Amino acid sequence: MIDYAIDLCIIGLSVGMVYALVALGISLIFSGLDIVHFAHGEIYMIGAFIGLMLFQKLALPYVPTLLLAVILTGFVGVFIERVFYRRLTRAGGGYTVAGMGMVIVGFGMSIVLQNVAFLIWGPKPFPFPVPFGRPIELGNLALPMSYVWIVVTALTLMAALHLVLRKTMIGLAIRAVAHNKDIAYLSGVNVPLMISTIFGIACALGAAAGVLIAPINYVQVQMGVGILIKAFAAAVVGGFGSLPGAVLGGLLVGVVESLGAGFISGTYKDIYAFVLLIVVLMVKPSGILGVAAKVKA
Amino acid sequence: MAIDMKRTFLGLAAAGALALGTGAPPAHAQDGVIRIGVTLRMVVENGLKYGQMAKEELEAVNAAGGINGKKIEVILLDDECKPDKGIANVNRFIHQNKVHLVMGSTCSSVSLPMVDVTAKEEVPQIVPHSTNTNVTKKGSAWVFRTSVSERFYAAVHAKYLAENAGKKVAYLYTNDGAAIGFANDYMAYMKRTYSAEPVYQAQMQETDLDFRAHLLKIKSVGADVLAIGGQLDAIARISQQALEVGIPSKVRRVAASAASNAPVPELAGDAVVGLIYAAAFNCKDERPVAQAFVKMVQEKYKVRCPDHDFSQAYETAQIVKQALTAAKLGLTDATLKADRLAIRDALANVKNFTGLASGPINFCADPTPQCRDGNRTGILVEYTKGGKDFDTKVLARVSFEPDFGL
Repeated sequence: MIDYAIDLCIIGLSVGMVYALVALGISLIFSGLDIVHFAHGEIYMIGAFIGLMLFQKLALPYVPTLLLAVILTGFVGVFIERVFYRRLTRAGGGYTVAGMGMVIVGFGMSIVLQNVAFLIWGPKPFPFPVPFGRPIELGNLALPMSYVWIVVTALTLMAALHLVLRKTMIGLAIRAVAHNKDIAYLSGVNVPLMISTIFGIACALGAAAGVLIAPINYVQVQMGVGILIKAFAAAVVGGFGSLPGAVLGGLLVGVVESLGAGFISGTYKDIYAFVLLIVVLMVKPSGILGVAAKVKA
Repeated sequence: MAIDMKRTFLGLAAAGALALGTGAPPAHAQDGVIRIGVTLRMVVENGLKYGQMAKEELEAVNAAGGINGKKIEVILLDDECKPDKGIANVNRFIHQNKVHLVMGSTCSSVSLPMVDVTAKEEVPQIVPHSTNTNVTKKGSAWVFRTSVSERFYAAVHAKYLAENAGKKVAYLYTNDGAAIGFANDYMAYMKRTYSAEPVYQAQMQETDLDFRAHLLKIKSVGADVLAIGGQLDAIARISQQALEVGIPSKVRRVAASAASNAPVPELAGDAVVGLIYAAAFNCKDERPVAQAFVKMVQEKYKVRCPDHDFSQAYETAQIVKQALTAAKLGLTDATLKADRLAIRDALANVKNFTGLASGPINFCADPTPQCRDGNRTGILVEYTKGGKDFDTKVLARVSFEPDFGL
């Protein structure tokens, strides 16, 4: 029973890390741009396809594939922000206004990206056959290397993001923009550049999630739909806009979902994430690490 | 103002053009053409080819002057394996295109509600791919099936695996019609024949991607057999994830007939080795008729090893042509109802049709599974190699009496 519970927790953590990476991107965009980005699931999908192309067409090993996919998808994100979202946030009255227009554009972008991907790659799932090697034996437990890769890579990316945000000038500028764009601008921060950077980093995190899960779940056009809902649940559970909250929320959603499927019933395993969401919102409406009333300076 | 007027005019012109383009006048039966509506799951690559093959095989008679001098027109639509689209397609066939026969669908979850529509509207329907037992159990006098019913497949699986692997079976299946039918029929056979209850069973959403929590539980209950029901991507994912969670290879894996589709071994790679499935056709069939068919598909549709959905689409088209040849058709508006009835009766008279199926196909008049499940021969196949150049071997070939108990 203990081994079984540990196995379930390991699965929950590996899936939770993927949710956390996507939720981290959503929270980063929200904190930086005041946009709830409904096309982030498709960014995750595009990232996975870019990874697949690099892996198959250029026959790159997995690690360079992952890194290149992350970088390229980051630039795709910058392009989307500069070409589409930038104009709308300006027209909508400045960077701090997140109006209904942006929500609609997010949905529109989601549909556009899905259709573009459909035209390029079609509807069928593609395998992403990475030879991870034999599982690690830990007593009665066999830990598949694919899970190890997910957990280690996600933790590395989160640590790198933390270091960038806390220890570098760019990080300071990003935090300043997230806090108040007008004051950041008056302080000499290049606000538009930082917004593009935030968007690029968020999309890069989504791509990392896509490439990490692809060897287990395959790559297909519809793969972003399910993850977006779970990532939103994770972001809200952790506290919307809070980066540590997004990570905590992702892990909680993954583990609760896995334990619920293992010990209660796997038939309706999507329910557990939302039961957790409801419970957290009833106890602490701002999410576990969210602040009660977020008022920007 | 001028710009607004111009925009309004352009808008109206565009709307008019759109209306003209999409609102084609409804077909009329009086033009002497036999109309067949085909709806299949074509959202996957091979699905398009199944549809293309059915259409080309049926319309091939037109070059030789048609059937009894009458041309065939096929209206081919994609239902994407979605029941609502399937129903929309069949309603369009019946009310707009005035078809004489409906052929479809691939997915059981689409074919099942289609049966109710064709029964109500009294239009003959021939099902080329769906395997759910209930397709012919609804009592419709208008439905025929050329694919092998899951009740036969279930018996083939259950008997072979109970004798060669064990009776402790864990069932993991998605909520589409064929998968539910596969699991229910397998469970029913095991209970009736061996008094064996499932050691684990779970039904999942079709959209689920992660089955590892279930598979861990199956690993812990010590199952002899893992029975997997689902569409092709679910079967591939479960096969791969079963290996990842450490389910040993001595646990035999058996899957619903969708496992015969080429994307399964391509997606799952070597995780598919040892996976058993029942099908109506195997591309290694050495009969000359089968090899000629395989060669034709390879050359025309560029598919190395055509699966049984190819063979069944082809076979269904041949049966339809045979029935149409036998039916006396007026092909006018006034005779539309009588023509549909004549085609239904001609289909019911198809006896001992031999082609690509491993046994003869027979229909009869009673609206029962015994009469309307024409193909009763399943073959049991095992994957011996995964990937794009996958390989299989035939384990057994079993024919059943029309009513063998399930």
